Amino acid sequence: MSGETLVEMKNIVKIYGEHRVLKNVDFDLRAGEIHCLVGENGAGKSTLIKILSGAVMPDSGEILILGKHVRALNPRLAIELGITTVYQDAELVDSLTVAENVFLGNELKSTVPFKVNKRKQAEEARKIFDRLGINLDPDEYVANLSTAQKQMLQIAKALHRSARVIIMDEPTSSLGLEETRALLTILKSLRDQGLGIIYISHYLSEVFEIADRLTILKDGERVGTYSSKEIDVGTVIKKMVGRDTAMFFQRRRVEIGETLLSVKSLTKNGIVKNVTFDVRKGEVFGIGGLVGSGRTELVSMIYGAIRPDSGEIFLNGQKIAPRSPLDAMKKGICFVSEDRKKYGILPGRNVVENIMVVKNNLSKEFFLNLSEEVALSSQMVGKLSIAVADRDQLIEELSGGNQQKTIIGRWLLNTDATLYIFDEPTKGVDIGAREQIYEIMLELAEKGKAIIMVSSDMPELLSMSDRIGVMRNGEMTNILENKGVAEEQLIRLFIGV
Amino acid sequence: MAHSKRNNNSVLPKGKKPIRKNQWFFLLLAEIVLAVITGSINPRFFGISNITNILEQIAVLGILASGMTMLIISGEIDISVGANIGLVSCVVAMMIKNDADYLWIVAVALGLAAFNSLLVGASSLIFKAPSFITSLGFLSVFRGTAYAITKGVFQTIYGKFEALGLTRLWGLLPLGFLIGILIYLVTHFLLKYTKLGRHFYAVGSNPAAAYLSGISIFKTKLLAFLINGLLVGLASMILLSRVGAAQPTTGSGLELRAIGAVVIGGTPLSGGKGHILGTFFGVLLMGIISNALNMLRVNPYFQEVVFGLFIVASLAVSAFSAYSGKGVLKRRLKKD
Repeated sequence: MSGETLVEMKNIVKIYGEHRVLKNVDFDLRAGEIHCLVGENGAGKSTLIKILSGAVMPDSGEILILGKHVRALNPRLAIELGITTVYQDAELVDSLTVAENVFLGNELKSTVPFKVNKRKQAEEARKIFDRLGINLDPDEYVANLSTAQKQMLQIAKALHRSARVIIMDEPTSSLGLEETRALLTILKSLRDQGLGIIYISHYLSEVFEIADRLTILKDGERVGTYSSKEIDVGTVIKKMVGRDTAMFFQRRRVEIGETLLSVKSLTKNGIVKNVTFDVRKGEVFGIGGLVGSGRTELVSMIYGAIRPDSGEIFLNGQKIAPRSPLDAMKKGICFVSEDRKKYGILPGRNVVENIMVVKNNLSKEFFLNLSEEVALSSQMVGKLSIAVADRDQLIEELSGGNQQKTIIGRWLLNTDATLYIFDEPTKGVDIGAREQIYEIMLELAEKGKAIIMVSSDMPELLSMSDRIGVMRNGEMTNILENKGVAEEQLIRLFIGV
Repeated sequence: MAHSKRNNNSVLPKGKKPIRKNQWFFLLLAEIVLAVITGSINPRFFGISNITNILEQIAVLGILASGMTMLIISGEIDISVGANIGLVSCVVAMMIKNDADYLWIVAVALGLAAFNSLLVGASSLIFKAPSFITSLGFLSVFRGTAYAITKGVFQTIYGKFEALGLTRLWGLLPLGFLIGILIYLVTHFLLKYTKLGRHFYAVGSNPAAAYLSGISIFKTKLLAFLINGLLVGLASMILLSRVGAAQPTTGSGLELRAIGAVVIGGTPLSGGKGHILGTFFGVLLMGIISNALNMLRVNPYFQEVVFGLFIVASLAVSAFSAYSGKGVLKRRLKKD
């Protein structure tokens, strides 16, 4: 079964800002095998395959493809070398037919110059589909295909370009059971035809069904590579988690008061289903789950950025239905969003403006009080020890941790607020700033504010939360008292095994 | 970047940006050089009457560019302002011919121009189409309407309504220019000292973040269009008063000059950044170039070419300054 080595990656290092996402990772793929990558959110799986597909440049390390050293890999070169990545939606032209997509870029010519031989393309495409055992009409428009069919089409396209390696990143996360079965069958048949397949999935049952070998990543490091026969689900989960106690923040306890927020049967069609939970004053309520399990959408509804289809929200016993972020803000809800680049910072503006934006919005005055602005933002800079040179420094010039602290500072000026929602508060933040952010959250809790913390970071969830709500496929499946909860137990609940 | 820790009570110092790092500084230099060269070839350039003439000519452009600065900072654009002027000045000229009340005339000029600009903005915001495209569409609507109501006939106003455009205070300073200066000041004040100005910058910088911080993007951008429209109305009246006649093509081409002045003044088309001071010097540069070309007796057709190139050049300057300091351009040039 173990054929020649198709891909070898040695000592791969990737650093984003101050954050090492990959630390000397080794990886190899042989012909005729399915090699699965497993690990928690943020373990570095996606980064590793992005490097192999040429989308991301590693900071150091070697890549060998078919035994040859490859430097400066880019997406086009990767495809030329036979490495194809199947994305969920991209790469296909919706307004062309299935066959036209397969032959896009190297159309079959007919005898008439400049004319594409459509009939022959359809025949050839059908041959490829037969070989794969998939049922697709070559003359159908791609826009009419389902997600699963699109993925299969991309695999067919890869085969047509004589790919040797196929990379699939979470291909089944939006597929139904039947479609998943079909896809896995195809992958197995491709393996038997001698291709190498890299497969990433959170669903360990799938992984164990198809994997020949699997590599476990944790916090950017390779834990090990195992033959799927010599390891079982329990051991894999143990190896995915299990960290030093040094990674856990030792927080102090805060007295917990009465209920502040009650969410009842909150539903957004297809994304969040019937979620009910309470948060009390002084409590840190952690929300965990896989990426895409509906966590962000859930808190966005509480903040008024998304309208729920049904369900009720009570704040301090009063029913509220936030119509917009401004409305939620005025009712005392703060929201530190995930992905600060996209949803947090105001690039091109200085730190003062970035801190003051919420406070200014809450004031009824039309005119700004510039001296008060400088005083308040200087105070915030001092309090959060934000490293900034002067008041005209632009926010994008700061490090990730300082940007995040600036954005949190924005919300701390909303002093009348009672509920603080933090979505991935410490993502891409260095360890020093991280502890400081935890400190801020605890100070808020001590003042009797309620805190919701959405996090993918397992140590963060376990060390900061008083209770943990687990989201899976849009449902809040469990709410745990955080007393002696083990990482392993939590990840089992996330995955649902 | 200094990453020094600071104690809790100290106030953040002001940033020290050397004066030569400001885009307006380069514009000022360019203006001086251009003036000296033109003046040495044709000494009449420095004559009082010519300088007054330049100030009069740039008044309208300055008012338009002020509105455009606010729009571009908010991440929007309106290329229909020239056609808007055409329509408004035709309507106003016809009202003057029919001896309408001045109060009515002013109300109609401001109201119609604001309405037009709001149409551009609302259609862009509601249909989620770039305002560049919707304003391109409305450009045609406004000009077409102007042709329809005038039947293409030149609307002269026989020496009425002259005060706004032809008054010179102390026989020297054109009233239009003073109004222009006032508009610059108001714009500066609005951008720097009001909540609305802050909102303009925020929605232009990162609409998603602005929305999550409680800013209504729709309301903010629509207000930018409203202000822009009111300024177009004001500019139309000054232009009509100075020229004494209107036709549907009145004002055409002004939109490009206004955008060019804003961009060369250091406000990037990507939004979220910019100052009115840069726009002021951008407009002045436009005025000086135009006047210099006349003074040097350059063929008027060729002047069009110069302005076109000037606008492209201003975009290049904007691209370079966006990359400067980040080494992006250097790296790219090295690669090639």
